[in-house]
Amino acid sequence: QNIMESFDDIYLDLSKQSGKCRLAESGLGWKVSGGQTFTLDKAEIISAQWSRAARGHELKVIARNAGVVQLDGFRQDDFDTIQKCFKVWYGVELIQKEHALNGWNWGKSEMGRNEFSFAVRNRPAFEIPYTEISNTNLAGKNEVAVEFSLPADGEETGTNGHLGGARSKGRKTGGATDQLTEMRFYIPGTETRKGKKKDDEDGED
Amino acid sequence: NLNGTAVKQYKKFESYKRDAVFPTRVKDLMILVDEKNNSIILPIMGRPVPFHIATLKNATTSQEGGFCFLRINFLSPGQGVGRKDDQPFEDPSAQFIRSLTFRSKDNNRMEDIKDQITEMKKNMTRKEQEKKDMED
Repeated sequence: QNIMESFDDIYLDLSKQSGKCRLAESGLGWKVSGGQTFTLDKAEIISAQWSRAARGHELKVIARNAGVVQLDGFRQDDFDTIQKCFKVWYGVELIQKEHALNGWNWGKSEMGRNEFSFAVRNRPAFEIPYTEISNTNLAGKNEVAVEFSLPADGEETGTNGHLGGARSKGRKTGGATDQLTEMRFYIPGTETRKGKKKDDEDGED
Repeated sequence: NLNGTAVKQYKKFESYKRDAVFPTRVKDLMILVDEKNNSIILPIMGRPVPFHIATLKNATTSQEGGFCFLRINFLSPGQGVGRKDDQPFEDPSAQFIRSLTFRSKDNNRMEDIKDQITEMKKNMTRKEQEKKDMED
């Protein structure tokens, strides 16, 4: 019967233009009209997550080579279909993830495989793929600064516009109207060296 | 209050509930000030992330290379400021976001956001003072 599922108005990696996302047995694809097609073979897919995002609901795929692939703009109703496709065709469980909305600025940073997340009461407030970080440094005694890679010119796409303004890796935030350039954290107990994050789990509840 | 610090409830403020509806303009991945909910909403890697006004310290702007940079500073330990009873400043494991900087080509909007944040902060401080005065 259905050999393909198709979704309109989907944004790839913060692209300015929306395109059509297709799920087929062989993998997934995304294309803006008149543009080139981005494809992800099913063998590439490691895991998948479903959350609310800016344009609608986001399907985030962690891929072997492509890293963090973000597809935003799905409707809540699409979840069942997508979950089924991923399970049957790709053998991957689509996991629903709720994000923190309480507006707090304290929590705990967690280092994942492809991204780092800042969790507030065990819910991620946001995630940052490692590909988007250009530099980090110890800016003060207890302060860590994280800088983001951005296109030199705010208009540059990094993909010659072929992917509807979706950025190549390391340029994602360039697709936003307001582009995040730097983030600073207060990290307690960094007087000697940082990196002993494993020691202090679950302290804040 | 079993243990003082350990059981402290840092729940005096909350930006949004679980099923909250964000302003539709979060679609544009831009900074929004949502006065109704005492919050700002920041676009971080494609996700709208709210921060309550009570976590904010101030906002500043600067110009460089054709961009306007808006730096939003949050309350965190070790700055000699902040309402320590509202936030887990003494929790030895709590990490804090200290600042977030955004760039935009829309200078006016960035200045406007800065002013709105300053105004919101001022109103909050005033309201708190009024409340305190009533209690006295």
